[in-house]
Amino acid sequence: MPLKEVLRLCNITKSFPGVQALSDVSFDLREGEVHCICGENGAGKSTLIKIISGAYEPDAGTIEVNSQVVKLDPKKAHDHGIQTIYQEHNVFQHLTVTENIFTGLEVSKLGVVQKKEMERRTREALEQLHCYFDPSTMMSDLSSSEKKMVEIGKALVFNRKIIILDEPTSSFSSSEIDNLLHIIEVLKEKGMGIIYISHHLDEVFKTGDRVTVLRDGRVISNYDICDIDEEKLIRDMVGRDASAFYNREFFKHGEVILEAKRITGNGVEDVSFSLRRGEILGVAGMVGSGRSELMNLLFGAEPLESGELVVLGKKVNFKAPENAIKHKMCFITEDRQFSGLFLTHSIARNTVIANLANEKRIFIHPKEDIALGDEYIKRTGAKAENALVQVVNLSGGNQQKVVLGKWFLTNGEIFIFDEPTRGIDVGSKQEIYSIMLRLLKENKAIIMVSSDMPEVISMSDRIIVMKDGRLVAELERDEISEESVLKNSIGGKTDDRSKKKCS
Amino acid sequence: MIEAKRSVAKQNWFKRHENATPLTVLVCFTVVIVILQLIMSGERGKVEFPSFITPVNLLNILMQVSVPGIVAIGMSMVIIMGGIDLSVGMLASLVSIITALGISVWKLGVLPSILVGVASSVVLEMLVGFVISRTKVEPFIMTLGAMIAFQGIALLLCNSREVVMQGELDFLKANLIDGAIDPVNGLNLTIPPYVVIFLAIVIIIWAVMKFSRFGRRIYAIGCNPNAAYLAGVNVKNTKLLVYAVHGLLVGIGAVLLLARINVGIITNGQNMEIDAIAMAVIGGIAMSGGKGNIWGTLIGILLLGSISNAMNMLRLPSEVSFVAKGVIIMVAVSASYLSPSIKKLFSSARNT
Repeated sequence: MPLKEVLRLCNITKSFPGVQALSDVSFDLREGEVHCICGENGAGKSTLIKIISGAYEPDAGTIEVNSQVVKLDPKKAHDHGIQTIYQEHNVFQHLTVTENIFTGLEVSKLGVVQKKEMERRTREALEQLHCYFDPSTMMSDLSSSEKKMVEIGKALVFNRKIIILDEPTSSFSSSEIDNLLHIIEVLKEKGMGIIYISHHLDEVFKTGDRVTVLRDGRVISNYDICDIDEEKLIRDMVGRDASAFYNREFFKHGEVILEAKRITGNGVEDVSFSLRRGEILGVAGMVGSGRSELMNLLFGAEPLESGELVVLGKKVNFKAPENAIKHKMCFITEDRQFSGLFLTHSIARNTVIANLANEKRIFIHPKEDIALGDEYIKRTGAKAENALVQVVNLSGGNQQKVVLGKWFLTNGEIFIFDEPTRGIDVGSKQEIYSIMLRLLKENKAIIMVSSDMPEVISMSDRIIVMKDGRLVAELERDEISEESVLKNSIGGKTDDRSKKKCS
Repeated sequence: MIEAKRSVAKQNWFKRHENATPLTVLVCFTVVIVILQLIMSGERGKVEFPSFITPVNLLNILMQVSVPGIVAIGMSMVIIMGGIDLSVGMLASLVSIITALGISVWKLGVLPSILVGVASSVVLEMLVGFVISRTKVEPFIMTLGAMIAFQGIALLLCNSREVVMQGELDFLKANLIDGAIDPVNGLNLTIPPYVVIFLAIVIIIWAVMKFSRFGRRIYAIGCNPNAAYLAGVNVKNTKLLVYAVHGLLVGIGAVLLLARINVGIITNGQNMEIDAIAMAVIGGIAMSGGKGNIWGTLIGILLLGSISNAMNMLRLPSEVSFVAKGVIIMVAVSASYLSPSIKKLFSSARNT
């Protein structure tokens, strides 16, 4: 039976400085269906839901809700019955369940908030979701799956017709996932349209009615769930043309320089791998799979709970990054501005700070800092007048080079690159890559975490794939392909389940 | 060739943001001095208005700012590191009372009393610093609590009374240049040891902040503690050490204060935290941390001291001098936000 269409996006285009996030995306949602959106990291899923929820305004294209063209902002999106439930909890921890649901939309009579009435409606909604905690419970006392239920409860209370679930199960146990999928069935029966975004393909096959695949901001395909299997879905998510990849030079590998044996801690479980001189070990996986957590563990920023780490032939137990630096490790972090740079300080100051861990002298003349700053600007090719320029005034690519200069000065041998080219223009990207290759030529070793599929595939000698805090696959050079990486990052055993639904 | 080099150096000096604010302040300072001098020489006909710029008066200002100045230097370190310390005033009162009690009541002798006083200051600041560096407690709240607690301890120790001394600490205010005469007005010149101690502290801390590993780490923590941690800085211990050094400076300041006043009393350090923060901020230390330098603070100290001194000499009531001080602080802080646009104005004027 043809169902009524509740949402239709036509030819949506959105760009950010330097990035075409969405181009010509069309999408529709019918009442009582679950429409899944699949795609790699950075395929445009988040941008799309932010446009539907009114957080972003599209550059071009139209949005229709119930066949009426509308312009959305977050408030209007609510008025049109759109409820977005983001991956991170958008809740007020120090308010009660009821207050969270009714924030900004309090029920009042003559300016007096009707607490009883609100609690009654909250309880009703929660009961439909099979949640039996008290509406006056503090939000901070709830588990993350219960918080999710409260957010879904909000949609019920206000009778919203469109629910967007962005990675709803990211911290759920398997029974909580089953419960959520059951709830989704209940919501469907009530005629709600649900947009479901997940990295977990088995959930997509269990709950979805249709699936749309995004890649590089474009809609690649749209299927009824019965017409597709996992293989085909993954093939649609990957499949770039060759021009997206880089050709790099490969070098002979030397001895093992770092070895992790069953290391556990910081959400990472039982990970073992080794790293040789002259190679780039790629670390792939979806966002939230524990890649950055693993890097923090290696660098001593988080304590190791168990397992063994051998660096340069010595067994180590880093108490702090200080010790890792002394053992010739370098960490180019994911978020430059938050954890890599001193934005209001000069390039010179940024350059010398990490090497202080190796510095024996107590007093050093600032002129030396400036000389070193100037020297490393030249070495990394950062474009800056001199080492006195404040880092905040540099472009992303040049800021990244300042970070690199800081680590080169420490004479490190093991480089951890977490998202080395995030937010960097294409030209600077190439320069960063050639700097990385230069390090390999100097017989150093690199661990590279990257969500950029072409980057991780074309730059890595070997790839390890993380999923849910565990290492799920190790791919040698000849096994590396977009399919193999993606399949290991998101795949599950779905064959019989997907069949069940369509019979 | 030399011309070109000099112009580069000049440009750098203007471009280095951390020097821009003290520079603005220096200009303000000079303007204020000149205005004061003009006002005073206008009144020169009358004997009771002595001229402002005389060696005697400049030394007077130095003597007046020594104690709050020492505390302001410590405060600068703390603020540059991204912290704040509201407890310094009451801590100074507490230390001066402990030292006075040691000398007059407990009869420990002069030097041991001083050591006990300074040591208690260091220990108390380290306690505060320990909590701040190991937890995520806001330094503002933590030191506010410490201020109230220190006041209580001080009052308990002295039974809410003053502790009178017999001038045992007078050696700290003896004149080092006995017999020197001001060439302008023939008055005696005085440089007591505590002024020398103040200047020595300024130079030492300036050198530490500018040249040492420790100093670089303090700036790094103030600017971005996350990045500092990941760049191998031991953030916790550096913070603890800064509070310890700060405690040492407050302790020294409190003993010198006691030497000047000769009475251990709870009002000794009253409002000192306000003066210290004001001096640091006027000198271009950013409350957000990671910015500013000690010689900027020195300018702030001298500026605020000169204003008070001038108000005294003009026989203005202290109420008015509070207003003036307040206005100057507000202007100084706004100036640090205006200075980028002022700089732009300068550079565009130079280019055309």
